Amino acid sequence: MNRIALKMLMGDRGKYFGIVMGLTFASLIMTQQPAIFVGLMTRTFSFISDVGLPDIWVMDAKVQFVDDIKPLQDTELYRVRGISGVEWAMPMYKGLLKARLTDGTFQTCNVVGLDDTTLIGGPPVMLAGRIEDLRRSDGIIVDIDALKEKLAKPSGTPNGKPIQLQIGDSLELNDHRAIIVGIAKVTRTFQSQPVIYTTYSRAKSYAPKERKLLSFVLVKAKPQQNLTELSQRIRKNTGLAAYTQQEFMDLTYQYFMKNTGIPINFGISVLLGFIVGAAIAGQTFYNFTLENIRQFGVLKAMGTSNWTLLRMILLQAILVGLIGYGMGVGLTAWFGYAMRNTILAFRFPWQLLVFSGAGVSLICMFAALLSIVKVIRLEPAIVFKG
Amino acid sequence: MITKYLLPLLAIIGFLFASYTVVSSNKPLPVAPAVAEPASAPFKTFIAGAGIIEPQSQNIAIGTPLSRIVNMVSVKVGDKVKAGTPLFYLDDRDTRAELNVKLADLAKAQTDLRVAKASLNDTQTLSNMAEAVADKGAISGEELLKRRNALQVNKAKLDSAKALIKQAEASVNNSQITLERLVIRAPAEGEVLQVNLRAGEFAQAGALNTPLMVLGNLDELHVRVDIDENDAWRFNKTSKAVAYLRGNRSVKVDLNLAYVEPYVIPKKSLTGDSTERVDTRVLQALYRFERKQLPIYVGQQMDVFIAAQDYSPQ
Repeated sequence: MNRIALKMLMGDRGKYFGIVMGLTFASLIMTQQPAIFVGLMTRTFSFISDVGLPDIWVMDAKVQFVDDIKPLQDTELYRVRGISGVEWAMPMYKGLLKARLTDGTFQTCNVVGLDDTTLIGGPPVMLAGRIEDLRRSDGIIVDIDALKEKLAKPSGTPNGKPIQLQIGDSLELNDHRAIIVGIAKVTRTFQSQPVIYTTYSRAKSYAPKERKLLSFVLVKAKPQQNLTELSQRIRKNTGLAAYTQQEFMDLTYQYFMKNTGIPINFGISVLLGFIVGAAIAGQTFYNFTLENIRQFGVLKAMGTSNWTLLRMILLQAILVGLIGYGMGVGLTAWFGYAMRNTILAFRFPWQLLVFSGAGVSLICMFAALLSIVKVIRLEPAIVFKG
Repeated sequence: MITKYLLPLLAIIGFLFASYTVVSSNKPLPVAPAVAEPASAPFKTFIAGAGIIEPQSQNIAIGTPLSRIVNMVSVKVGDKVKAGTPLFYLDDRDTRAELNVKLADLAKAQTDLRVAKASLNDTQTLSNMAEAVADKGAISGEELLKRRNALQVNKAKLDSAKALIKQAEASVNNSQITLERLVIRAPAEGEVLQVNLRAGEFAQAGALNTPLMVLGNLDELHVRVDIDENDAWRFNKTSKAVAYLRGNRSVKVDLNLAYVEPYVIPKKSLTGDSTERVDTRVLQALYRFERKQLPIYVGQQMDVFIAAQDYSPQ
């Protein structure tokens, strides 16, 4: 019986392809769009996840997300350091400063100031130079994407490729001289501004004169210290906000979810993909059952039970579902691979595989249900009609 | 055949590729390690503060009483000096010239004294002669009166000449003291930590941002710890304290309290920058420690932890 079902399915190539393509399309949309969405959302907190060493981030109580800097007084660092359960606490400056390029244009850069002694919070991957080189005078570390694009020197010839800056080249940061001593690879941030690392005291001298300049205090908990307890203790003792790395990432992500149209936009895309996929696949599958209604009628007249017919239709539905799903996620993965070197945000967590699997199953179930109802209600006598 | 197997095969390849992408793209990023391990407190509850090393004598910023060009600097950085050792000499040509004038004035005054003495002698003799005449008729009353008065006048002139000598002497003394003040001497025993002036430069009198010269006694060092006013109430003078060297946390030293400055002052950033941006006030506690072979210099910063009782809110 299963062989008959498969023959029925693959007998009409056009319809077979139609169903599979519909499901492939649905599966593609349901993974590719959310993958871009997840990629974009990951970028909102990529700065936090790049700084892996500290357990807890301490900041002003009113900070809403990672780029919402409300600086603290320098002495808050020592107050946080004085709380029991804190292994160490380090200052970090994060702010947007203007860099002036050789051709006179300005570029806003994300400047990160690391503790002078320990340089905690540095870039995760160094492509050239060492983090220690920041101790050299006027030293900065710049991310590779910025060097290639936004901070690149214009080419000497018209329409030529811009020239990438190298170690030893200088930049002008807020009218101060800065020398590139290292090149780092960082995860792109949401705004995709160039990221420049330097020491805390140097960042303070680059920054415009303000009374408070301490953006974050990075805290490492003592071993066996419960992080939630510690962050509560910091909150109670200092009145500042303290988040674990995960909490701070969630805070940032929630801010973007609530305050931007991004989730609605992508939600609609996914829903449209689901509906269009369901419509195409459901309709084609139903049509295909209708075309084969005579064969089902013959089988029924020959005494095949409703249960067997149901199993045949389910087998057909599951097969096209699996094929469509596999090709859809494969296409998404290929898309991600093809776009790996562009600025496109793309991230493919395992949850998306499950999500689109569930979506495709729903569509198949819906299509199969329509056909099953039709076949079960079928009178065998139809074979002999017209 | 192709239709039968091609699509399922494609689907399997697609799914495997997707699975591979999921696994390979979600590897966590490496964590950038700390370049130097940060110091961490050896106590359960504690107060943390930044400390700066200073000599026990504190840093003596040498000033000058007079604004002058510098003639010569007689010490260099690192010299050990005793109290009274000349540190630098200021330009003294005008004062010496003045002194010569005043010495000449003194000499003149001394000559004047001799003249006054001679005049007095003269009038004294004449007066004595007139007084010695027994016959009242031999000398007129007017003449006698004249000679007596002349004697009185010359006596007064002698006194005046003596006073002028004293005045000239005081004036000479004044110039000599000024000369003495043009040599700046070490006020206490110590080491020259900084020299910010060279011969030919102008030394300004008054309190300066950059002192002309810094002197300190390095035999025993103190670490001056800033404690935030919000933490000051937790500070206990008898608590243990430990200081860590920045950049290498294996170098640490136990501290003993020397004294606490009871006046809470506005925080000066320990970076030494003169433009200060922070407006909190700090309690300053000074700790002494065994210097021994600590690789430490005056003005260096340390991370200090002071044990404190646990007052955390329940």
